[in-house]
Amino acid sequence: MTPPAPQARERARGQQPTDDGASPGRSLREEMDITKETLERRKAWLEFTQGDVERLAQVDTLVSRHADELVEQLYAHINAADGSRDGDAAPTHTKGLLEEYFLGLTKGAYDVEFVEERLRLVGGLRQRFGPDPSWYLGTYNLYLRAVGERIRAAGDELDDPRAVFESVRKVTFLDLGFAFDAYMIERERTIWRQEEELRKLSTPVLQLQDELLLLPIVGFVDTARAQQLTEQLLYAIRERRARVVVIDVTGVGAVDSRVANHIVQTVEAARLMGAAAIVTGLSAEVAQTLVRLGVDLSAVRTVGDLQGGIEEAERLLHADGPSPSLPDGRG
Amino acid sequence: MPILKQGDCLIASVQDALSDEELRALQNDLAEQVGRHRARGVIIDVTVLDVMDSFATRTLQTIVHTTRLRGAEAVIVGIQPEVAFALVQFGLTLEGIPTALDLDGGLALLRLGASRSRSDGHE
Repeated sequence: MTPPAPQARERARGQQPTDDGASPGRSLREEMDITKETLERRKAWLEFTQGDVERLAQVDTLVSRHADELVEQLYAHINAADGSRDGDAAPTHTKGLLEEYFLGLTKGAYDVEFVEERLRLVGGLRQRFGPDPSWYLGTYNLYLRAVGERIRAAGDELDDPRAVFESVRKVTFLDLGFAFDAYMIERERTIWRQEEELRKLSTPVLQLQDELLLLPIVGFVDTARAQQLTEQLLYAIRERRARVVVIDVTGVGAVDSRVANHIVQTVEAARLMGAAAIVTGLSAEVAQTLVRLGVDLSAVRTVGDLQGGIEEAERLLHADGPSPSLPDGRG
Repeated sequence: MPILKQGDCLIASVQDALSDEELRALQNDLAEQVGRHRARGVIIDVTVLDVMDSFATRTLQTIVHTTRLRGAEAVIVGIQPEVAFALVQFGLTLEGIPTALDLDGGLALLRLGASRSRSDGHE
């Protein structure tokens, strides 16, 4: 009866996404289960060593010297590519984000805290630029080109320019790996949230009158949805003290024998809780087909249309006398 | 298990998960008390139960039939959503046994049955 947790690589076990998508008290890094071990494994995979860390320190000196130019270069490229917008409303803020993010790549200790900080910055970028990661990947391309140019231009200042560029490339891949995971998790959270909303919206139990509920079912019904709608109905029967429920299947795409059996079970379960059920929206032809297919509809009250069903429901309710909660049970 | 008397109805409220012996004891107690008090109705309240197996449902069915033979009608009340769901999945529908949501519902059902039989002129 609880929602399934989204699958994700390196995801914390048993963690459910909260409504706002963030886990209070847990960083994204913790939720992604990125530990010191994970980080070391990824570095080893990329052959990222202490030598690379030292070379990146050299790149940082270079990059800091040309920081403003670099940021302008990145910013201009993004603005040019981003033809659909009216223009950046907050250029200073955007440039600040770009500087922090791209120039921050060469400033780290490349430990777990570094990853933590990178993930935080990715969040900021996503807020500014939206959920599509393709722009971001493209900007990395530009970053590499821009830094490559600066490295070439530095000439003799660097011991081994090619190795230095290799280091930049490695750290780029390291960073992209974590950012990619973060995007994936956010996507999964969004999908999960949307599915939850859809599930809640698609099976509302409505109160028509005292002790009378209506469950309109719309769309495709698979076993999971059928179970969910049955649960919702049963809880509603208890909560609202319903004695009659109308289950309308007019909006159900295809009522096959599987769906029909789910409906029959729902009707039987409602009866165990003292509520009579009327199924509306089943045409005579569909009902006959179902019977031919071996579905036992004998215990199910069916009425062709919703209005007729509600009228029948009211008859049932009042034939049984007024609400049982009245002390002297007139009737 | 305590069996309370309310008017001409007997009310048995299940307190805890019932063992097979307790179920049989309930069956015997009710049969005896229906006769002794000349009760017209019996309510078995299973609100507390979060699980019911086929033995429990068979016993309840037996109780209902036996009390009918002694001139009383029995109603099962308080089946919880999870239990109702599980029962129908196992095909245990308690066919022919009156049910109601709760005690109030059960009493109303019994009174209704009684007034109907009085106006029909037969039981």
